[in-house]
Amino acid sequence: MSMSEFGAEAEIEFRGTRAASPELDESGELENASRPGSTIDVDADEKAAKRKLGFTFWVSALWLVLVIGGAILAPYLAIKSPDVNFIQPGERPPYSPSAEHWFGTDQDARDMFSRTLYGARTSLTVGFAAIAFGVLVGGSLGLLAGYFRGKVDQFISFAFLTLLSFPALVLAILITVLLERSLTTIAIVIGILSVAPVGRVARATTISFADREFVLAAKSLGARHPRIIIRELLPNVLIPMGAFSLLGVAIAIVAEGSLAFLGQSVEKGPTWGKIILTASQSSRDLEKYPFMAFFPIMTLFLTVLALNFAGDRLRSYFDVKELSL
Amino acid sequence: MKFWLSRIGGALALILTVSAITFGAMNLLGDPLFNILGPTAGDVGNPESLEKINAAKEQFNLDEPLPIRWGLWLGDFVRGDFGPQFSATGQPPVSDLIVERLPRSIMLLVMAQTMATLIAVPWAIWSASKANSVADRTSTVFTFMMIGMPTFALGVILKFVFAIKLDWFPLTFTANDPFWSRVYSMFLPALTLALPVGAVYQRLLRTDLITTLQDDFILTARSKGVSRRNVLFKHALRPSLFSFITIFGVNTGALIGGSLVVEQIFRIPGLGSAIVEAILREDFPVVLTIVMLVTVTFVVLNVAIDLLYSVIDPRVRAS
Repeated sequence: MSMSEFGAEAEIEFRGTRAASPELDESGELENASRPGSTIDVDADEKAAKRKLGFTFWVSALWLVLVIGGAILAPYLAIKSPDVNFIQPGERPPYSPSAEHWFGTDQDARDMFSRTLYGARTSLTVGFAAIAFGVLVGGSLGLLAGYFRGKVDQFISFAFLTLLSFPALVLAILITVLLERSLTTIAIVIGILSVAPVGRVARATTISFADREFVLAAKSLGARHPRIIIRELLPNVLIPMGAFSLLGVAIAIVAEGSLAFLGQSVEKGPTWGKIILTASQSSRDLEKYPFMAFFPIMTLFLTVLALNFAGDRLRSYFDVKELSL
Repeated sequence: MKFWLSRIGGALALILTVSAITFGAMNLLGDPLFNILGPTAGDVGNPESLEKINAAKEQFNLDEPLPIRWGLWLGDFVRGDFGPQFSATGQPPVSDLIVERLPRSIMLLVMAQTMATLIAVPWAIWSASKANSVADRTSTVFTFMMIGMPTFALGVILKFVFAIKLDWFPLTFTANDPFWSRVYSMFLPALTLALPVGAVYQRLLRTDLITTLQDDFILTARSKGVSRRNVLFKHALRPSLFSFITIFGVNTGALIGGSLVVEQIFRIPGLGSAIVEAILREDFPVVLTIVMLVTVTFVVLNVAIDLLYSVIDPRVRAS
């Protein structure tokens, strides 16, 4: 999947399940398929295996803690300033990685390690803030649509569909050109792109809970709509949404990078996208100093991968169903 | 019949909404007159400038209220007249630009989809035939990594390895080259788009194949003595291509987004770079036209796929 196209993954999963295929978990085990010859013991084993998060999850979590911790603590750590030019007399930058500059320096002799770490601050903030926005707006709309159905559902679903039929990056650059490119703008723009995919997961999950006995019980006890939505449905929808939104954060971070490549990312300070762009823009620099692009790309890639792995494990742990209801 | 009508009606409403939002946003948030004339637009005192302003207002219907302007634009658009560009002369018309750029973008998308399919189908069959073996699990991890790889990072890596270090492919696209060498120079950009998408296709098709292989008719075929190979290719593949069709359409939208970035990295003057340039110049008619073309393609493709679906599987019509 092209990660730059926001929401495509969610869409794929919705549309993909339409062919009524049984759910598979990450390792490809069949869950709901009728399996002639499989004994009950095997199923029990699979269930037990599924309730563990597994080794990859913890490695991913460790990496995320490192990156997020580094990003938060960057100004307090004893690392070089990301904006100072460390010119070494008699030599032209960029400088190769050394004990002094772990990731080397860029064309302006700025320390790549601290730029990558400071870039993480912006990129991760954009990623998490965007998805927080998406969960807040998309999640609420999805809950309303899934609970009330009928006209409300039709209207909200149409709004989601409209959002999804914009080519996502085009919508993003459209807004970023017309408005000032602050951190908030970029986060909200990417957040808007995440509203529809997140909202559709919320809607589908709500629908699968709305007819359950505990909701019926609350209704027959005379509970009003807001109470049912907040006390009965929200806690059930929130957990799967949380797992899903980790995948969303990964997509949002990539979306920031794509925007940077189109010259439309956050104006001030380094971001991962901007660092990689500066390092790879000129083919001559890329040929002579590939390390400049290599380190930030690896950091970005590992972070995105870790978010994907962690999200995917959590999702099958909590058994999120993406039904196209 | 009713299903088809409502599906097509919904698609039309969708296209209209998208056009209204795009048109409205650009006109309300930007300043069309300034975008056309530049600083001249504010120079009302000078009679010469005033003449230009009035001419521009006349040409772009700027004095009309917004909904009417939208209606006028829509009428022209439907008739295939994309109007003049935002500039003092309005030349060349937007359609010239589209005619020049569109074929390259289509070529890129077609190549990317073809490559993705060529990668995914054999890989999925191989994976499904060895489901849950060590080889299959390794390949699943590999698809994960390809899906996680951002388009721009993949583009930079492929460019570095195959165009710069190995020098197998040209670094940039040259418009005047003969057809086949243009196809050749699009190989890397198309591969950049195809790898992640191919990985998505592989995972989906593998899942469907494994499901199909559990079906009774496969068991029947096997017990009648049909070879494993024939069962995979002749019996299992066809019913498994079902959701593959859907995802193919959805992914075209994703590919268009990805191609914006890829066209920038490999310097291909296609629609993607056209829209990026136009947005930077705030040349709204160009932006609007490209957004509309992409949206219409996307929506039409998905309606077509839904209809195809309802022909293949009547249960879809009921829901």
